This record gives sequence, structure tokens and C-alpha cells, in this order.
Amino acid sequence: MNDLDHDTIRIALSRRQLLRRGAQLGAGLPAAAWLLAACGGSSSSGSSAATTGGGPPPASAVKGTAVLQNYSGWMGKHNIPDFEAKYPGASIKQVSTGAISSSATAQVLKNNPGAFDFALGDLAFVGQALAAGIMQDADFSAIPNIKNVDEKFRKAFSHSVPSDYGKVGIGYRKDMVSEPISSWADVWQLAPKYSGKIVFLDYDRDCLGSALRYKGYSGNTTDPDQINAGKQALIDIKPHLLAIKAYDVASSLVKGDAAIVMDWDYDVALGQGQDSNIEWVLPEEGAMAYLEGWNVIKDTKHLDVVNAFLNFFLEPKQYADFVNTTGTAYVMAAATPYIDKSISSNKALIVDPATLSNVEFENFLGEATALYTQAWDEFKSA
Amino acid sequence: MLSRDRLLRGALALPTVAYVVAFFIVPLVVIVVYSFARVSLVTFNISFDWNLDNYRRIHDPLYFDTLVRSVVLSVGATFGCLLLGFPLAYFISRQPRAWQRVLLVFVIVPFWTSFIVRTYATVNLLEEHGPLADLLRALHLISGPLTVLYTPRAVAIGIIYSYLPLMVLPIYVALERIDDELLAAAADLGASPQRVFRRVTLPLALPGVAVGCVIVGIPAMGEYVIPEILGGGKTLMLGNVITDQFLTVGDIPFGSAIAVVLMALMAVVLIATRRFTRVEAG
Repeated sequence: MNDLDHDTIRIALSRRQLLRRGAQLGAGLPAAAWLLAACGGSSSSGSSAATTGGGPPPASAVKGTAVLQNYSGWMGKHNIPDFEAKYPGASIKQVSTGAISSSATAQVLKNNPGAFDFALGDLAFVGQALAAGIMQDADFSAIPNIKNVDEKFRKAFSHSVPSDYGKVGIGYRKDMVSEPISSWADVWQLAPKYSGKIVFLDYDRDCLGSALRYKGYSGNTTDPDQINAGKQALIDIKPHLLAIKAYDVASSLVKGDAAIVMDWDYDVALGQGQDSNIEWVLPEEGAMAYLEGWNVIKDTKHLDVVNAFLNFFLEPKQYADFVNTTGTAYVMAAATPYIDKSISSNKALIVDPATLSNVEFENFLGEATALYTQAWDEFKSA
Repeated sequence: MLSRDRLLRGALALPTVAYVVAFFIVPLVVIVVYSFARVSLVTFNISFDWNLDNYRRIHDPLYFDTLVRSVVLSVGATFGCLLLGFPLAYFISRQPRAWQRVLLVFVIVPFWTSFIVRTYATVNLLEEHGPLADLLRALHLISGPLTVLYTPRAVAIGIIYSYLPLMVLPIYVALERIDDELLAAAADLGASPQRVFRRVTLPLALPGVAVGCVIVGIPAMGEYVIPEILGGGKTLMLGNVITDQFLTVGDIPFGSAIAVVLMALMAVVLIATRRFTRVEAG
């Protein structure tokens, strides 16, 4: 493995995992996050003229500092320096609020009007942010490079600029599990045999959504009975779980502590880079996936900067830098020539129509979100 | 002149008072106020209508059981700390002064490393293929895998490991203050060493024990890092529920209500401990 691959692993591991760890640092973190957000208020010296269409404005006309709410380390190594070199009057300031869910991120943004200009968030965040009136639709006439993004992702993420997605599937060690695994049903069936050697994800929508797919339901269902059935499936398998983890899931496979895991595609791909015995499976029942991207905050005073950055980010070479740095599954086939082979040739991460047809993106569920939270807490407490 | 001294003293205390008010009293009041509010989980609009719904929700068996689990685990861990901490503090207090200092440094050494790092280090220690498992297998104390990590036992071990110094130090201070002449007098009057310990040493050490139990038990009750890391996400404690409500769900009013209940419980423990130590002191 080359140095770049090592770097990819180290940085990609920091995505949700560091967020989760960050959340463990202390009860004062929410307040600290809000303080951070408040301190990160965007510069008022920039241009406030919004682009009204007809393509991006000239570089010399784009001025000011746009504040981005983002996961720690979730940006290409060169994206921002290259952007600032091309647009000398503009800059991007990244702030991580520490919120670990779509709901909490939306709430931080709602409670800090004017502090952010755009934010990373998934489909659930978009629904929540639109309902809360804190984001606006992207002006795609000012972001012509949106055409580079594959159609399925553009359609699914129609309000904003999609950046990446992550499928929740199965990882297992071929040298520890003798039976072939192709579905969630296999995992539930094999659980007693591999009791204490199974790790599940510690995210309600990902984990409960996967259990719902196993039961034959949508991972976006709002039917209380179906949610209960998913919860019961999780409670049934819980005695066989080694742990429910939000981080180091694939490393449990690498170390051999776990034989089977429910995990994100990029994490399993990282594990495969360290141990060839690790296999990735897209479950037959279908996989849940987060689809996320950059969302423009309502009434931002730096729309020109935001649009210019988003358009710049969607240039295939720049986008490839983002993918190479983070190791994520990607949404732009046009960037494939610039993406490291270790990523572009990994079946867990490639843009593949057959794979995508079996993926269900996690949407905003409105009031039903509370049902998922309740079911999740009951599972964790069981 | 007197009033000038008072003014000076007041001015010296002002920064601390301002700090405490800004970062403790005000947030505390905000949390209490929020605990009576209601939030729409769709729009995040908060209405302050002073309702008790959030407190009623805590009666849900899910949260009540979690509260009980938190109490049981923290009481168990506090007892474990006491069981290990008292003999250690007693041993240190009986050493020559120079040795006491050296041994106290050893007690404090873990605090030189970040709490999070120490907790992650404990994961490596307790792993199925970790050094503890290897040692136990070498001593033929276990034959199969070590199944401690990601269980409530691992959480208890983690809490005891992390909080033990907080138990040892106040007990040591109480024991170290005992006048040797009192012990000698008891012995001169015919008391056996066991009786001296039971009738003289132990009662005089009780204030230290009480303080140790408070400063271990109270933070352990709200602990959520250790259950998350060492419990493998399978041992839900009240601290985890509060974190989830603030950082995952966004239901700040409900999270605030749980935090207020937890604080109230701790206040009761503190008051009871204070009364207990006063009675013991005479």
C-alpha cells in the first residue's frame, strides 16, 4: 500500500467516527459547538450581490469569506487552497459544530442565524432544514458543473449539490465465516453460530433501517408497527452482538474480534486495504444509504462565494481530490480517471447502476423521527 | 479602612464570581427553563409554555430503567473504588513522609494522560486478544476468550480505573491527619490493633470516605463516555440518553429535563452526605 492509501485510510476514518468521538468529550459540547458557530459568523466584508443566473461571475467579482459547517476533515486536501488561489478575494472557513445527526445539525443552524453560509448535510437534513426554513434551493444556473454529477444523485438530491453517499452493507471475514453471506437474512440466521463476533452500527437510521429492510419494509417507513418489527429484530439479535459501534467497525474485522459487521461501504473498503480476507456484501434485501451534499443556507450574504466554490468543487479533478482525501463512495463517474485505483476499482465504492438500483436513501421522516428515536433507545436499553 | 478592604476583597473575587455566573449559573438557569419548554422536531420552533410533559416522559419505563441502571452502576463502581481505594490510602498514609509523596505521585500519574486516551487504552487492555487475556491464559486462569470488553463489567472496570484516584486522595488526607498519639493512646488503653482501626481510625477517616464517594459517585452517575467506549454501545446510561437528546435528536427540552432530574438526584446525595459527615463529626 502506498503512502497516499495510508493517508486515505487515516483521514477517511475521521469522518463520522471523529464526530462521534467528539461527542464523547463532554456534556458541554453542544454549548461549545454553538459558541464555535457563533464565533464562526461569516465576514461582512464580502460581496452580497447574489448571482442571478447565466453562469458563475468572474473570479475578480467573487469576494468575501463563506462559512461552511462541515465534518472535521471532510474536504479535499487541495480544494480550499486551490479555490482561494483561483478566487483571490474569496475564502472558505470551515466550522465543525459537533452535532452528530441531521436533526441536531439543523438545530444548530437554526439557533445561529447568519453564522453559516452553507452546510454539509444528508437528505434527512435537507428535509429538516427546509421544514425549519433555514436553507434555500441551490441556484444551479450559477453552478453549471452540476452536470458532472450522475443523474440519479442529482435527482435524489435536487435541492442542493450532492457530494457523496455511503451504503450500509455487510462486511465479513472469509477465513472466519464458512458460509457465503448475501443478505441480512443470512446475518440474522448465522448470528447464533457467530455469537459475540458480530458488530452493528451505532446510528439509528442506518441500523434500524437495515433491520427494516431485513423484515421486508422500507427503511423510511413511518408505520409504527413496521418500526416496531424492525426494533424487535434488533432486540432479537442483540444478545449475539459483540458491540454496537459508531467507529472502528472495520478495524474489529481486521483484528479478528468480529467475523461479521454491519458497516459503511467506505469503512469496509478501508478494512479490505488492510486484510484481503474481508468481503463486502450489498445485501439482497437492499441497502440503506445516506446521500449528502452541500446545502445553501437561507439569506446567506455570500451566495456568490458559495456558488463559485460549489461550481469549483464539481470540476472532476477537484472532486477527485475530495474523494481521494476522504475515501468515500462517489457520485461523479466523470471524476473516475482522477480517482485513485484503490477507490475506483473497489466494488464497494464505484458508481454502478446495478448497485444503485438496490439502494434506498435515508429521507427526512418528519414527526416519525421520534418513533425511530424511541425504538432505537428501546433497543439500546434492552 | 474596613470598607476599603472589603471592596478590595470583592474586586479580587469578581472575576471568579463573573466566571461562575456566566458559565455555571446562567447555563443552569437556561437548562431549567428549557426543561419546561416544548420543541417541534420538524421546525425546531420552541414554545415556552411551562408544561411538565418532559418530566412526565421520564416515568416511561425506558428512561426510568436507564436511570436505575445508572444508579446501580455508579453505586457499584463507587463501592469498588472504596474497596480498592481505602486499603491503598491507608497503606500510603502509614509510610514514611518521603515515600508517601512518591506513592501519591503514582496515584496521580493517570491524570497526566487524557481521559479519552486512557479509556481507549483500556479497550486494548481488555480485548479478547489483549495483554490481560494473554496474561490470564498464561496463568491458566482462563482457557477460552476473555469476554469482558463491551459488557457492563467493562463499564464498571473503566469507571473504577478512571475514578480510583478521586477516592484515594480524600481518604488519604483524612487518614494522614489522624494524630498518631490518638492511636497510641487507644493501644495503651488495651485496644487491639483491629479495635483501634475500627473505633479510632475508621470513624476519623469517614469524612474522607464520604467526600470520596461523592466525587466518584456523582460524575459516575452522569458518565457516558465510558459506557459508550467500553460498553460497546450496549449499556445505555442516563448520560447517553441526555447526549442523544441534545446531539442526535435535537430535543433540547427533554434532554434538559433529564439533566435537571439527574442534578436534583445528585443534590439530594450531596445534602445527605453533608448531614452524614456532620453527624459523624459530632
